[in-house]
Amino acid sequence: MSENDFYTPTDLDRLRMENELLAFEVRFLKARSGGQPEVAGSPVSLSRMTHLEEAETDLKLLLRRIQNSPLGPVARTNKNFRTLSERYLRQPDRALAMSPAQRTVYLEGAEKDLKLLLRRLGRGPLGVAFKRRKSFRTLQERYL
Amino acid sequence: MEGIPTDRPEHPVFYGGRFSEEVSDAGLPGDHTVLSDWDVLPAQLASALEPASILVVLDMLSFPFESLTGDLMDVPLILLPPPGSDADFLATVFGKAAFSRLGFFDRVAVAEDDLWAELQGRYGLARGQRVEVEDGRPEHAAAEIKDALEAESTLYAPFVENDYEANRYWSERGDALAGEAPHRAICSVNHGPKFNKAIHRVQEKALSPQIAVARGTQAEEVPFDVLEIGAGVGRWAASFDPTRTRFTGVDISEGMVETARKNFPQCRFDLLGEDSVLPYGDESFDLSFSVTVMHHNPTPTKRALISEMWRVTRPGGRLMFLEDFVSGGWSTTSTVYPMSVNEFVGLLVDATAGQVVLEHVESIRYGHDDFTRGGLLGVTKLGVARTW
Repeated sequence: MSENDFYTPTDLDRLRMENELLAFEVRFLKARSGGQPEVAGSPVSLSRMTHLEEAETDLKLLLRRIQNSPLGPVARTNKNFRTLSERYLRQPDRALAMSPAQRTVYLEGAEKDLKLLLRRLGRGPLGVAFKRRKSFRTLQERYL
Repeated sequence: MEGIPTDRPEHPVFYGGRFSEEVSDAGLPGDHTVLSDWDVLPAQLASALEPASILVVLDMLSFPFESLTGDLMDVPLILLPPPGSDADFLATVFGKAAFSRLGFFDRVAVAEDDLWAELQGRYGLARGQRVEVEDGRPEHAAAEIKDALEAESTLYAPFVENDYEANRYWSERGDALAGEAPHRAICSVNHGPKFNKAIHRVQEKALSPQIAVARGTQAEEVPFDVLEIGAGVGRWAASFDPTRTRFTGVDISEGMVETARKNFPQCRFDLLGEDSVLPYGDESFDLSFSVTVMHHNPTPTKRALISEMWRVTRPGGRLMFLEDFVSGGWSTTSTVYPMSVNEFVGLLVDATAGQVVLEHVESIRYGHDDFTRGGLLGVTKLGVARTW
């Protein structure tokens, strides 16, 4: 690859695994530097934190997709949806200012909200339509 | 046997120095370049070595070893000591500049057995690092070395699509390559020694400090017991001081084990059975490690090996895994079973009942890749030793 070329992923599996590896390393370095003593020295906690961060990312992506889809105007009339959007999309830097303990609670909340959202979308009259989409099925398999 | 496809054609560069005319007149066969002492001035050295798959230094007295830095260190060396020189002379003149910098992929062309034994003892060289020549004169040695390189580059291990079975494949491939072309059996069978040396240097940069950390927790006078899984021809044995370390390696290939024993007679090498049971008692080692072994095996074998490594490691000892954690999906043309770092850590926790503490995580990027492929994980085994 020449220096002027951008890195273009051609293999999604490879990209996912590379992201996991780099995130795992960053998580470990943060833990070792004393940023998060509660996860230092525990491989389970490290992988759990990585999983929670992925859940937060997936939740943000899902909310953005719904917002930008034809269902967006309808979804915005729902109070719960507005709360989720407010919490996860309108304040992108909020998590950076949190202490390690607060961040863990925040991320666990994001995972819980994602599960709840996936369950609600999977039920209801639109559930059949959502389940036809591969990306939605992947999220359900991953989190439910 | 057919020739193997390589990343680029093998192109040895012979540094003839003051003897370049004689070496050129010797009419070496095949693709190669002969350099004189004017060609290796500091400003020209990098471009002169750019096409080199291997650098054969036939005139050590005029070669600028101090200019071999950075990526130039990836070029494997074959050194021909000046005719008639003894070990003391070589150590005095070239000790620091050349011999102490030699790695497992570098070699020395020596005619006299006594001189080889002296050099081997002083610099911890492996048996496989000797190129036997009959005549120490540069023009004659060049022809012998060229013949030896030609013979290595035509060997290959067959890969049958849709027929990859880890134990059989690595056993057969190891047996086929162990004697004549060990570097191909080490990292990448489809690439030459330069590529393999570059991979080794990246791995060594990550692994060596962690080995030192693991060693550092022990008292100086206590021997450090080390076990390598998939030791091959023993390339990592060279990274340990034999006066302070008892190195043991296991491999599934009989040919590899035999070659490793010849390379490092002071170390122990054993054959690993297909059941992946290590032939050692519980809590026998202070450090157990594997380098690019796990990712070539399916999950049940990985689990068995990790579990066995944990069993034979002493409480407080280290387990280290330098593996590829990034790969495309499983394909019938690949020998890699992809497993992400999270999946591997899950397996590690599972196979050791969680009785480990994560000590080190480091991602590893090889020079030829445009993405991060490898990672080094180090864990400490928890528990209290059964025997003191």
